[in-house]
Amino acid sequence: MKEIIKLILKYHFTIIFILLEIVSFSLIIRHNEYQRAIFSQNASTLFGNISSMTTDVKDYFRLKEINETLANENIQLKKRLEAIEVLRDTVVRGTIVQDSLPVYDYTGAKVVNATFNRMKNYITIDRGRKNFIEKEMGVASPDGVVGLIQDISENYSIVIPLVNVASRVSAKIKKNNYYGSLQWDGDNYRYSYLNDVPYHVEVTEGDTIVTSGLSKIFPEGIVVGYVESVDKETANFLKIKVRLAVDFKRLSHVYVIDNDKKNEQNLLEAINYHE
Amino acid sequence: MNNVNYLIHLLILSILQIVIVDNIHLGSYFYINIYILAIFILPYKVKGIPLLLFGFLLGFLMDLADNTVGIHAAASTFLAYIRPRLLLLTSTREELDEAHGTLRLEDFRWFLKYSFLSTLFFNIVLVFAEAFTFNDIGITIIRIILSTFISMLFILLYYFIGIKKVQQ
Repeated sequence: MKEIIKLILKYHFTIIFILLEIVSFSLIIRHNEYQRAIFSQNASTLFGNISSMTTDVKDYFRLKEINETLANENIQLKKRLEAIEVLRDTVVRGTIVQDSLPVYDYTGAKVVNATFNRMKNYITIDRGRKNFIEKEMGVASPDGVVGLIQDISENYSIVIPLVNVASRVSAKIKKNNYYGSLQWDGDNYRYSYLNDVPYHVEVTEGDTIVTSGLSKIFPEGIVVGYVESVDKETANFLKIKVRLAVDFKRLSHVYVIDNDKKNEQNLLEAINYHE
Repeated sequence: MNNVNYLIHLLILSILQIVIVDNIHLGSYFYINIYILAIFILPYKVKGIPLLLFGFLLGFLMDLADNTVGIHAAASTFLAYIRPRLLLLTSTREELDEAHGTLRLEDFRWFLKYSFLSTLFFNIVLVFAEAFTFNDIGITIIRIILSTFISMLFILLYYFIGIKKVQQ
């Protein structure tokens, strides 16, 4: 302590000089448009570089985890492939007309920006018009459903995730196929609510909620989340609290899901349903 | 030079700067600053924190007059900071002691050396604070050199009319 005071006394001339210069330069930045513009420009470039550097570093430390997720998914896909192989071998060729099945196409994408602490959250991914992404396509991660494509540019797309109060996704309870509409209340990004499920339906904690396939956006059976609690307060419908399968804070790789037959189905329904 | 004399010089220099020199516009390559002479000819006994504060306040006053908040303050604070070092650099310890607390302003060769260095350093800080970037450094350096020479011209003019005569 004594040494520090000695040091300050010894260099007080320089220290006061530096303080006065700091005062001068803060005056310059605060009161002169031109210098302020240059300062904020450089500062934002600097902070932008720093944040992209920290993202790179963070990504690096999460590589192991991401690898595991991808490996798990590979296993799942291999199992499915084998099941299909078995199916193909047993079914006589030609009985299934390939074109009659809805065909879902998957495009891998990386999350480049995301919010999760607002009422209307959005996610930006690095695939766009160039990669044949279109509006209203579904987005999922290896863990489960992420959201819908809302807008596209040449190289990027904006996703409305499940944790956006404007998002509506049709989902069903896996064990008994009753479906409802999944809607977020804007509070906690880990939980959402499944509404419109009739009062009499048996639901217990831990039941799996999956996509219904009715919206034509997602194939049937992608995990949405797990039942956390069931509320029977409303008159005719249950309010089911769902713990979302996807942790939006840790999202990094997603798939965009394209249904080739969606437009055809929509067109047909548009012609007939209104009557 | 006694204190009263100094205060009169300070007043005249400030008024000259604010009323006349600030209204001479020669483009962005020539900044004329004559008021810094008031820091050059400060009595030698003014040192330490009062010296720095004096430099800062004088610069701040010029900023208010010139509507360049902070730029003159930064440069003249720097000038006050390097003044003791420049004095030691341009004269020997004995010469400073001999002066008995006042500067030997009648020594023109010494004054030229000392005031040229001071003006140069002042303009380096001033022009960089004004440009606020290291891009186009060539133009910045030209502005520093031209501003130093035009300021020196005015300072020497004042020196021969106001200071040297009075000293004799």
